[in-house]
Amino acid sequence: MTWLVIVLLAAGVWSQRLLGMFAGGLLLDRVPLFARLATLIPAAVVGAVIIQLTVADGRSLTLDARAAGMLVAGVLVWRRAPVIVVVVAAAVVTALLRV
Amino acid sequence: MSGSDGTGEATYCKNSVMPLSALRRPDLGVLLGIGLTFFTLGVTVNVLVLERTGSELRTVVAALVVNAATTELAYLAVRDAGGGLLAGLIAGWVVATRFGLLAAGLGARISVGRWHRVAAGLQSFDPNVGIAVQERHPRDVIRVFWWVTLMMHVGWISGTLVGVFLGNVIGDADRLGLDAVFPALLLAVIANLLRRRDGLAAAMAGAIVCAALIPVSPAGVPIILSLVGVLAALVVPEPAA
Repeated sequence: MTWLVIVLLAAGVWSQRLLGMFAGGLLLDRVPLFARLATLIPAAVVGAVIIQLTVADGRSLTLDARAAGMLVAGVLVWRRAPVIVVVVAAAVVTALLRV
Repeated sequence: MSGSDGTGEATYCKNSVMPLSALRRPDLGVLLGIGLTFFTLGVTVNVLVLERTGSELRTVVAALVVNAATTELAYLAVRDAGGGLLAGLIAGWVVATRFGLLAAGLGARISVGRWHRVAAGLQSFDPNVGIAVQERHPRDVIRVFWWVTLMMHVGWISGTLVGVFLGNVIGDADRLGLDAVFPALLLAVIANLLRRRDGLAAAMAGAIVCAALIPVSPAGVPIILSLVGVLAALVVPEPAA
């Protein structure tokens, strides 16, 4: 990764974040429904990121140790376990299944 | 998590000058979980980046300036697979689209000045926006956002330094189950959203769309198109205020 690549990657990331932030503010003023959408957008996007990190292996879908770790994490979240317990349990279960 | 009890709301109504103790911050356990997760990410991601970059300085600067681990990894994955410079850059930019979407979600929930908006926009990530938008009042949204952001960066920067300068002592991150840490954290931080019927519908629909598209579309695209999950949530009644 050269200095030029770092600058270009950063420019792309920074501009999209700023565009989103100011578009979000403008949309709120013009489209009242957007206040509700604004809470649901992170739910949809984060839900997608979770599933991608859990079942994607390149461009194929797979159920492996990660899925078992996430199943345990899901039960713990449902039982309102502390975040740190959820995170550590997911890692431990995933690691144990790979032994 | 702080936004669920409503006690802070009463405090705001009573006091025009807010005592420090009334400043909303997420539960300490949540903040520690976030710090630990981002420390783990900082170590594992930057071990990979250093391997391919070959420069400690550039690895640390990229971690701080690009400020998006998935963008760095997407770029490197394309280059590893023999892709050209432009293809790598495009992959990095496309996976960053979700940060723009998250920034839009946050931007619609806060009421701050222009430069504060710039600063918050540049720090929009999944966990801090995911937690912050669960607050009801704009003042609480931005306060919780910055608390979570602070802990993310404490974890990320310390993890980056450990990964770059001590990475060889960590060994195989996947063998330690560290690849399950980030999705588990994300699940935990959107837990309150998942307990709302519309939040659950959005997350489930987003996840299903993403999973369906992973085998048939380029990297990054499934996440962007998961946005249509929001439409599924709109048919679910909004929770009572």
